[in-house]
Amino acid sequence: MIKLKINGREIAAEPGTTVLEAAQSNGISIPNLCAAKGLTSYGGCRLCLVEIKGRRGYVPACCTPVEENLEITTETPQLRELRRLTLELILSEHPHACLICSEKKNCEEYKSTIRKVGEVTGCVLCPENGQCRLQEVVEELKVERVRFPASYRNFEVRREDPFFDRNYNLCILCARCVRVCAEVRGASALTVVFRGPQAVIGTALDRPLLDSGCQFCGACVDVCPTGSLTERALKGAGLPDETRSTICPLCSVGCTLEVGLRKGRVISSYPKDGDPVNSGQACVKGRFVLRDVIHTPRRSLRPMLRRHGELADVSWDEALDLVAQRLTSNPERGPAFVVSSQLSLEDQYVARKFALNILNTEPVLDSPSPSAPSAYRAVLQEQGISPQLNFELASLPAAGVILAAGTDIALSHPILWVNVLKAVQRGAKLIVWNPGESTLDRWATLSLRTKPGTELAVLGYLSRWLLECRPKDQWASRPGYEELKASLEKARSAGAISSAGLRPEEVQSVGRLIDEARPAVFLCGPGLVGRPDAAELIRMLWNIAQLVEARIIPLAAENNERGVVELWLPAAANGLSLDQVVQGVEKGRFQTLYLAGTFPPLGESRPESLIVQDCFRGANDSLADVVLPAATWAETEGTFVNVEGRIKKYKRLLDPVAMSKPDWWIFCRLAEKLGSKGFVYQSAAEIAEEMSKTVPALHEASSHHLKKSRPSFVLEDKKPASRFIPLGVAGGTAGIASETPASQNWLDSPDYYRGLNLCQEVKGLRRLREKTRLHDRKQEG
Amino acid sequence: MLTHPSQLTAWKARILEESPVPKKTVVVSNGTCGRASGSLAIIEAFGQELERRDLRETVGLEVTGCHGFCELEPNIVIYPEGIYYGRLKPEDVPMVIEKTILKNKVVDPLVYADPKTGRRYALQKDIPFYRKQMRLLTEDNLRIDPNRIDDYVLADGYQALAKALFDMTAEEVIREIDAAGLRGRGGAGFPTGKKWEFCRNESADRRYIICNADEGNPGTYMDRSILAANPHSVIEGMIIGAYAIGAAEGYIYVRMEAPQAVRQVTIARDQARKFGLLGKSILGSEFHFDIQIVEGAGAFVCGEETSLMSSIEGRRAVSRQRPPFPAQSGLWGFPTNINNVETWANVPLIIKRGAEWYSQIGTSKSKGTKIFSLVGKIRHAGQVEVPMGIKLREIIYDIGGGIKDGKKFKAVQTGGPAGGFLPAEFLDLAMDYDNVVQAGSTMGSGGMIVLDETTCMVDLARHYMHFTQEESCGKCVPCRVGTRQMHDILVRITRGEGEEEDLARLEDLGDSIRVASLCGLGQSAPNPVLSTLRHFREEYVEHIKHKKCGARVCKELISLPGQEARPTDRKAKKLKHD
Repeated sequence: MIKLKINGREIAAEPGTTVLEAAQSNGISIPNLCAAKGLTSYGGCRLCLVEIKGRRGYVPACCTPVEENLEITTETPQLRELRRLTLELILSEHPHACLICSEKKNCEEYKSTIRKVGEVTGCVLCPENGQCRLQEVVEELKVERVRFPASYRNFEVRREDPFFDRNYNLCILCARCVRVCAEVRGASALTVVFRGPQAVIGTALDRPLLDSGCQFCGACVDVCPTGSLTERALKGAGLPDETRSTICPLCSVGCTLEVGLRKGRVISSYPKDGDPVNSGQACVKGRFVLRDVIHTPRRSLRPMLRRHGELADVSWDEALDLVAQRLTSNPERGPAFVVSSQLSLEDQYVARKFALNILNTEPVLDSPSPSAPSAYRAVLQEQGISPQLNFELASLPAAGVILAAGTDIALSHPILWVNVLKAVQRGAKLIVWNPGESTLDRWATLSLRTKPGTELAVLGYLSRWLLECRPKDQWASRPGYEELKASLEKARSAGAISSAGLRPEEVQSVGRLIDEARPAVFLCGPGLVGRPDAAELIRMLWNIAQLVEARIIPLAAENNERGVVELWLPAAANGLSLDQVVQGVEKGRFQTLYLAGTFPPLGESRPESLIVQDCFRGANDSLADVVLPAATWAETEGTFVNVEGRIKKYKRLLDPVAMSKPDWWIFCRLAEKLGSKGFVYQSAAEIAEEMSKTVPALHEASSHHLKKSRPSFVLEDKKPASRFIPLGVAGGTAGIASETPASQNWLDSPDYYRGLNLCQEVKGLRRLREKTRLHDRKQEG
Repeated sequence: MLTHPSQLTAWKARILEESPVPKKTVVVSNGTCGRASGSLAIIEAFGQELERRDLRETVGLEVTGCHGFCELEPNIVIYPEGIYYGRLKPEDVPMVIEKTILKNKVVDPLVYADPKTGRRYALQKDIPFYRKQMRLLTEDNLRIDPNRIDDYVLADGYQALAKALFDMTAEEVIREIDAAGLRGRGGAGFPTGKKWEFCRNESADRRYIICNADEGNPGTYMDRSILAANPHSVIEGMIIGAYAIGAAEGYIYVRMEAPQAVRQVTIARDQARKFGLLGKSILGSEFHFDIQIVEGAGAFVCGEETSLMSSIEGRRAVSRQRPPFPAQSGLWGFPTNINNVETWANVPLIIKRGAEWYSQIGTSKSKGTKIFSLVGKIRHAGQVEVPMGIKLREIIYDIGGGIKDGKKFKAVQTGGPAGGFLPAEFLDLAMDYDNVVQAGSTMGSGGMIVLDETTCMVDLARHYMHFTQEESCGKCVPCRVGTRQMHDILVRITRGEGEEEDLARLEDLGDSIRVASLCGLGQSAPNPVLSTLRHFREEYVEHIKHKKCGARVCKELISLPGQEARPTDRKAKKLKHD
């Protein structure tokens, strides 16, 4: 710790922090506008100027690192006057009638003067009014006049992009947006253009953000200290009555979000600062789409039955009676019970119990994309290895080399990417391996592009090269070494490296990079380990990881996918896959099909009787005999396990809309109708309690465990396994999800914006998605 | 390829042997202003005439960079006598050849006559403009064709490099520069030796040096002249500096707006590479160094070192807070030393002739010579090199020949948009870094704009503010908004719309911008205004109170005969708009 004095007070500060940070963490306030946590020092607003004994003139606190025995004065009459004048200069370019109005206090209460100003002069119409950093600083410095003539820059407000507007008439050019975009998100979609009085924030060639590589993560909107960047949907929405935190269900990262509620509706969602998972960052889905997912007009509101060809509203009792009857009517052609992987752990637990105990059928789990972690674990477990799946996002920045394969993590796991970017900025080497161009390429030390299906050839070459050119003594003592060598020789014929469209030197440099830097991390998405031939790939990958002491992290793509692996894996190996179910339906093997969760349209294969249980109205409703309205995650409580293996609980934000009920409630009532006594849960917490006892891996999901300060993780076998697996063994029975047509579709053209199917219904997201896909198609063409 | 220092001497001897100095040599000054005045036509005329008379073999025709006397361009000097003819026209050429070259006679009508005394001076060295100067760096311009490295070698070029590389350690070189008392010629006057030492003492596996040739001050042209006339002197200085600092790579950041400088320095760099003076194992030593040339696109802020570096890195030219200084964290985060062109050009001189000799020139704290661009309302505009400590009066009246058209001297502007004004009371000021600062201006990189009674100081201050506010990088508030506000006030005053409080406003703003701005551009931007307010306050008062412009520059304030002055009253104007 470094000792220094601020205003005569002795304080201690971490080495490497700035004077501003040291002051703030000790409760000493220094006005500032351009400094923001996690961004490089800028020194543009000049409000944090302080005096330091022994230094000439004034120095900006935000750009001055702490040093031993500094003596700093933050308040003198000269400094106060200087700051005030600087702020007046800022205000001369920002509408300030309200900021310096003598009626300010009255106006807040009685709205006495609001009609006197418009957007170009005052604050009342600004969506940021009341939560504006500039307002705070004006209060702090008590500026009551502006000595300089105001100049309105008269820019056209940019409204062409989805989700937020850019009104540079309110911009004070602190460049926070530019820095967060470049430094934290690695997008660099924004920059300062022109110089001097013409300077303004803009994009390359003044194109819309949609064309500039922007992913609409909203980080710039969140750091903007004025109303310059504002969420369009919040204009006129008012301030929230309260904020609550929740977990984003739209991808596997599971960001903690602060949701603003007003009059029983979600109006905004912001990433939570300091959260161990996403610490102040979110992506387009969590930041802008959440509200529309919950409050879509396409919500399923009431139970419905098909009568005379039309769906008609009925009571829960009536609907459940019919469902119960259909489920048990024909035991020979028993029902097919399909559960979406996107339900909460509790819902899935009850669903599985319901299917096994009451319907006596193995439930089918459906996931829209092939699941990398489940394939990875299944293949290795066959070899008697129980691989570690847990990791922490916060440990990624310490990596020395990162291989990102089979997914474009900047799009599929934006928050994971934020951590990988940190590693890259600290000097880690990034190797990107994808069939086509990806957004990561510009950060990559090496970017491999191979034709799909040639991955084995690449990995085979890589292993042989490592074995031959980088031999290490300790390998020989590990079990399986000789067999591996022998089997690699055999695999040589598997395909030449040129068939993958690569030169041997490229693969050799991959070998050098992963061998030289420590620690090495392989991030593997479904595009690599979710393929049909993934079993051999995973074995090869495992061997390479053993050779260079790397850690393999198979990336779950969808929300709760990791939890599903823990809950379902032992049984899923023997169960039917979704396309087998669809085939069964076609062949008339099943009389009744029960779909719990959101599914793609079924198409032609209509069962005799279809029961749809979902939060949203979808295409399948037109075929359904019964429609059961489920509550969204926001209207219930539950548990998700994110990509790290972290167990995250979320609380109820809203009351269930209309007659909708939580999924577990529906299963329980059905069980009661069918005469079972084992389903008397009163809340999701009770289910979690039972689950934590019966599923050992999810032991920490019990609510009393979550009260402890340590974060909860999935329990894993911590035995270190370091042995090689010979290749070319029989394929085994490990169920790999990619055999379903839906998964194959996903592999052919990965869709990172799907999340819940409903994301497609959000216009802005649809535009972003189309843009990305258009780009992909051009690549292919 | 030179692989041993002794080869330099051999090279020189070989040049002398192979091409002996002709009996007569005509030297044509072909710098930027020379070309603008028609020197190319003169060269062509000489070529044709010599050809016609079959004198090509016996008479040398040498084309050099700028000789400094811009007012009399195009000019020639005929050696060995050193006869000087200024404002030559192509039709004078046959006569010059006929009389001076063939018959050794002076052509009287072409001889320079002092406009004050009417005395005629046939020889270049006698002309007062040159006589009063001390041309340590620029004298060689008369002899060196910048396209030919041979000429530089003949003038003992690269001897200093050989000496530094083989007879001195890096520390000794720094000590020598430090002992010489060389200060940065870019304007701030920081001791060069100290700067080098700081950079050398930073532990890093890589260091850079940069030559700042982004000369952007209006009315200054020393740096581009040096680069265009004697580029090897700068390159030699840089190699020595790189050796002292321990850099393996250097950059010359030169404005593309000075095309001649860009061209000549590129040619010179390529020649130096060809002869093993740049690249691996320079002169056979174990020292490696190479130079890249980066063309600046002409933003004034790129002259500021941190902006310049981000421009070299290929980013937007924006200043950043110092510390860390470039010596600690510069180009791509590595220790970097930036010096101005003129500073680098001084280095070989000091190494060659010794710190002791060098430190005898100049004043106690400012050593050596300084090159000024003398322009404005002056008889002999040109580039002058004078010892530090020379009186302003000597520069303006003896060298510069006094004010044009017999007008009265009002002030001289030094230091460009970052500098200030020295009115008549400072005519006897001994020009060195500290005195000029004390007098309320700065030496700057050497711009000197002479003003007479027909200059309106308010309008001039407005002009400078206009320049700085346009050229601000736009990063920090005081510079971006403050300078614009000052400019707006000055515009109002020059239109007769000024208010009495405006003066206080200007001073308040100026003082704040000076202390609060991020980089040198902003910190010095208010100087022209503050300086005119100090020395010429009455002109401001006249503009504001009496709506009069004494110099008759501000159009809105000029009254026609028989007409009242028509100050555009703000209220009256407002009414019209309504």
